[in-house]
Amino acid sequence: MSNDLVIKDLHASIGDTEILKGVNLTIRASTVHAVMGPNGSGKSTLAHIVAGHPGYAVTSGEIWYKDQNILELDADDRSKLGIFLAFQYPVSVPGVTVANFLRAALNAHRAEEGVDPKKTAIPVAEFRKQIREGMKTLEMDEGFARRYLNEGFSGGEKKRLEILQMTMLKPSMAVMDETDSGLDIDALRIVAEGVNRLAGPDMGALVITHYQRLLNYIKPQYVSVMMEGRIVRDGGPELALELEEKGYDWLREELASAA
Amino acid sequence: MSLLTIQDLTAAEITERARAAGEPEWLVERRQEAWAHFVDAPSPEWRRTDISALDLAKLAPTETAQGTAIQWDETLAAQGVICTSLANAVRTHADLVQKYLDVAVPFQAHKFTALRAALWQDGLFLYVPKNVALDVPLRVIYTLAAGAQAAFPRTLVVLEEGASLTLIEEYTSNDRAEIALAGPSSEIFAGPNSNIRFISAQHWGSKIYHFGAQRVVLERDANAEWTSIALGGQVQHIDAEATLLGNGSRVNWLGATFASDDQILYSGPWLRHAGDNAESFMQFKTVVNDKGYSVFDGMIKIELATKATATRLEEHALHLSPESRNDSIPGLKIDSNDVLRGGHASTSGDVDDMQLFYMQARGINRDEAKRMIVMGFLAPALDTIPVDGLREELTSIIEGKI
Repeated sequence: MSNDLVIKDLHASIGDTEILKGVNLTIRASTVHAVMGPNGSGKSTLAHIVAGHPGYAVTSGEIWYKDQNILELDADDRSKLGIFLAFQYPVSVPGVTVANFLRAALNAHRAEEGVDPKKTAIPVAEFRKQIREGMKTLEMDEGFARRYLNEGFSGGEKKRLEILQMTMLKPSMAVMDETDSGLDIDALRIVAEGVNRLAGPDMGALVITHYQRLLNYIKPQYVSVMMEGRIVRDGGPELALELEEKGYDWLREELASAA
Repeated sequence: MSLLTIQDLTAAEITERARAAGEPEWLVERRQEAWAHFVDAPSPEWRRTDISALDLAKLAPTETAQGTAIQWDETLAAQGVICTSLANAVRTHADLVQKYLDVAVPFQAHKFTALRAALWQDGLFLYVPKNVALDVPLRVIYTLAAGAQAAFPRTLVVLEEGASLTLIEEYTSNDRAEIALAGPSSEIFAGPNSNIRFISAQHWGSKIYHFGAQRVVLERDANAEWTSIALGGQVQHIDAEATLLGNGSRVNWLGATFASDDQILYSGPWLRHAGDNAESFMQFKTVVNDKGYSVFDGMIKIELATKATATRLEEHALHLSPESRNDSIPGLKIDSNDVLRGGHASTSGDVDDMQLFYMQARGINRDEAKRMIVMGFLAPALDTIPVDGLREELTSIIEGKI
C-alpha cells in the first residue's frame, strides 16, 4: 500500500471558472512538502479538494492515497483514511463545545463497521487525558475545551485548535492550508512546533504557504511552486529561499520566455 | 358515563359541577361569567395559526381533575411552602387563590381564555413565602388521559418577597388518533427581589391543539430566567408575556422551537416594560423541517411612564427542508422617551455547508454533523434545564425530528 499522496492531472472549477488546470504533484509519505505560490494560484483550492470540499467541480484527474482514488470518497471517509486538512479559516459551530466535537471526531475514527459504537468509543478518562495533554503542549488554557467550537476565537486560538485536532486524530497525511496566516511570531512558533512533533515517519505533510516565513519553522524536504492552476517548478528547500529573495515575478517571466 | 361535549354543556351544568366540587361562591360566579363570555365571543382571528380542523363544539372536556402529577419534597411544607393541586387550593387557600387567579390572564381576552376560566379542573398551586429559597427544582407534568378530549390545566405560582424557585412545567402525552385540545394557562407572580427560573416544555404527542397563555409578572428587583420549549402537538398557539412591572426587574428568556411534519407552532412572547431601570433579553431559536411551520410573533413593549429600559429581542431560525417555513415578526413598540437600549434582530438560514464540511473533514459523517449543528443551535435553551433526565428526553425527541 502506498502512503504517498499522488495527484494526477487534476482539473477543477467553480462555476464556469477553471481554477486547477492540470495539477500533477506527489507528496511522498513521511516527508514535508511545501507548495508555494502567489495569491490566486489555486493553492487553497487544491487543499480543499484533497480534503473533499463539495463546492468544487472536479472535471478530470485523480487523487490517489492508500491505493484508493479518494475523489470517490466523502470528506469524512478521507479523514478516516488518514488525511487531515488544517483550515486556513476554521469554521465556528455555536453550541458545540470543543470537547464534544473532538470526542465525536475521535469516536468516528475509532468506529468499526458492524460494531456497536459504544464499544469502540474512547473511554472518558482516556479522552480527558489526551485532551489535557494536547492542550498543555500547545499552551492552551484548560477552559478552552468547554468553549464553543471556534466561536469568538482569536486567529491564534483557531490555529492552535487545528493543531490540537491534528495531534489527537493522528493523521498520516496533513494538509496545512496557509497555517501561518494571521499568526504573530509566538503563535507561529507554537503551531510550527506542533506540526514538527508530528511530521516524520508517521505523518507526511503538504504545507501550503504564500510566504517563506513559515518554512523557517517547518523545514520541508521538497518545495513546489504553483501558478495559475499548475505546478510550474519542483525543487528542494533552496527553491523557497530563491522565491523569498526574488519574488514570484522572476519565475513568471522565466516561464513566459520558455513558452 | 359519557361526557358532555362543549355544544351540550350549559351554564347550569357548569354551576352544578362547581358546587359538587365544593368550590367557593366567587369561583362559581367566575365560571358563569366566563362561560357567558365564551358563548358570546367570536372565534379569535389569529394570525398565521390555522385552527379550521378543530371542531370545538364536538369536544368533551374533562369533568374532574385528572392527570396532574406534581413532584416535590413535602418537607418544604414546614417552611410554609404550599404546593397542591389548584382544585384543592380553592378550598384550603381560597383567599390566596382568589387574589391571583385570572389576574395576569383575564378571562375576557378571547374565546379560549373564557373557555378555560369556565371549564378548568386541573392545575398546580404553588406559594413560596418571604425569603424562602427552594434549592431543588419543582416539576409539574400535565398530561391528557387516554379518553380526554379537552383539558385546561392551570399553573398559579406566587413568590413572596425574596423567595426563590425553579419550576419545570411539562405538557406531554402519547400520540393521539383524534384531535384533542389543551388550553392551559400559567400565571406566575414574582414578588419584590424574588427569583424565578421557569422552564416550560411542550412535548405533546401528535394531534393535540395547544392554546396556551403564560404570564410572569415581576415586581421590584425581581429576576426571571425563563425557558420556553415547543416540540410537540399538531397546532400550538401560545401567547406569553413577561411583565416587568417593578423597577429594576430583569428577565432573561430563551426559547427552542422545532416544528416538523405538518406541525404549526406559534409563539407570541412579549416583553412588557412598565417599570424603571428594568432589563430584558429574549432569544428564541427555531428549527423547521419537513412541512413544519413556525411563527415567532415576539414583541417588546415599553410603556410611556418608564425610564432607562434596556432590552433586546432576537429570533434565529434554521431550515432543514425546502418546504419548511418560519415567519419571524419581531416587534418593538416604544412609548417612552427615556430608553437606555432597545433592539431586535432576526436571522434565518439553512444548515451551513462550511460547518458540515469542517466537521466531515474530521471524520464525522454528514448526518451526525447535521445532528450536532442542530443540537448546538438549540443548546442555549436546552442547557438551562436542570434535570438531566428531562434534557435527555427532549434531546432525543429533537433528534427524532431532524
